[in-house]
Amino acid sequence: MADILTHVFRTCAAQSGQAPHASGGQSSSRSVLLVGDRGTSRSVLLLAALSAASQGRVKVLFFTRTQIQSLPRSAHTCLPALSPANLKMIKFYYPQTVEELQQQVASLHEPANTSPTTPSLIIVDRLQSFLCTQGGGGGGGGHGHQGEQSRAAHLSALLHDTAAFLTQLLERRTPGLAPCRLLASFQSDPEAGPADPGRPDPVLAVLDRYFPVQCRLERAGGYLEEVWRVNLTGTTEGTDHADAPQEWQLVVSPDGLIEVRSV
Amino acid sequence: MRSFLPAVAEQLFKDIQKTYEEKSQIPDDLLIALKFVFGSCAVQALDLVDKHSVTCLSSPSGRKAFQVMGGSGRLYTCFTSCHYCPCPAFAYTVLRRNEGLLCKHLLGVYLSQAMGLTQQESISDQDISTLLAGGATAS
Repeated sequence: MADILTHVFRTCAAQSGQAPHASGGQSSSRSVLLVGDRGTSRSVLLLAALSAASQGRVKVLFFTRTQIQSLPRSAHTCLPALSPANLKMIKFYYPQTVEELQQQVASLHEPANTSPTTPSLIIVDRLQSFLCTQGGGGGGGGHGHQGEQSRAAHLSALLHDTAAFLTQLLERRTPGLAPCRLLASFQSDPEAGPADPGRPDPVLAVLDRYFPVQCRLERAGGYLEEVWRVNLTGTTEGTDHADAPQEWQLVVSPDGLIEVRSV
Repeated sequence: MRSFLPAVAEQLFKDIQKTYEEKSQIPDDLLIALKFVFGSCAVQALDLVDKHSVTCLSSPSGRKAFQVMGGSGRLYTCFTSCHYCPCPAFAYTVLRRNEGLLCKHLLGVYLSQAMGLTQQESISDQDISTLLAGGATAS
């Protein structure tokens, strides 16, 4: 399985009648951070979960604070082969605090969570909702940004280490489904942004350490329909070579339908 | 621990491992190199190794984690596949200031592994889950 986001964007672009984007490097990274608008990010995460689940025996774990009310309207357009049985391969978790999330992720190695099917994809929706909560988080590390940075590092390292362990299990049990991939979304605090122009978000700076590949969603115009530029950048694990940036355009219509175009 | 270090640091650990296997000690030139690359925490990390403060915890599921006992007796749980330590030095020097590669506890893990001086301990799946999540076990 290629990087799951690349797979989603290529599949959706192909379903929109566009030829597969053959040029550009194909990222093989195991962990990708989706940075940008939370509404669009969530739709992309759900499409990624559905895309992976529709490939057969791929078990997906989806962590989010807020209940999933409906599937993205584009799901059946982008993934025509999607069946109700595929949805059973996605397990949703609804932790309300970073401590609950950490406890759930830390216990994924236990046999009850790895048998009979070992997870191949871990998705965490809106990291900021766990990391940047007022007064949230024990686990130490001080106050303010320093506390948020410590929580971000702990959660990222835990996710990374858990995915690495599940990868080892998959390689032993079902090599075709290895490695276990990690996909998370993050949006910088929109209120903190303008106060410190040019200064990187301190939490995002920490996440950069643990997520070598980032997919950035940037608003590129549109009035009735929203147009987002999608850039996938970063390095392939195990090499020092930067992958060629890959770019798509997401067009979100007023009724929520997402169309992917390769650029 | 899978390394996320610059090549010079990785080579240094390899040299220490090779030399320690042959001579059961680290020669002065490697100690100087260690201090040059990692600064003052090199001596503190070697002190942790001397005191056998690094333990590799394993659970029946196969999950592993390192636990390092700091100078004050506090236990720090570190991951086997990437760099993280809950100590204040890691939060401040590595994460916030971006001035160091590792804290003394993580460096202690690398050195302890290279010198074959890591203690081994088995714990339950539930206990290792609690430790990885940042909590403390009952024992």
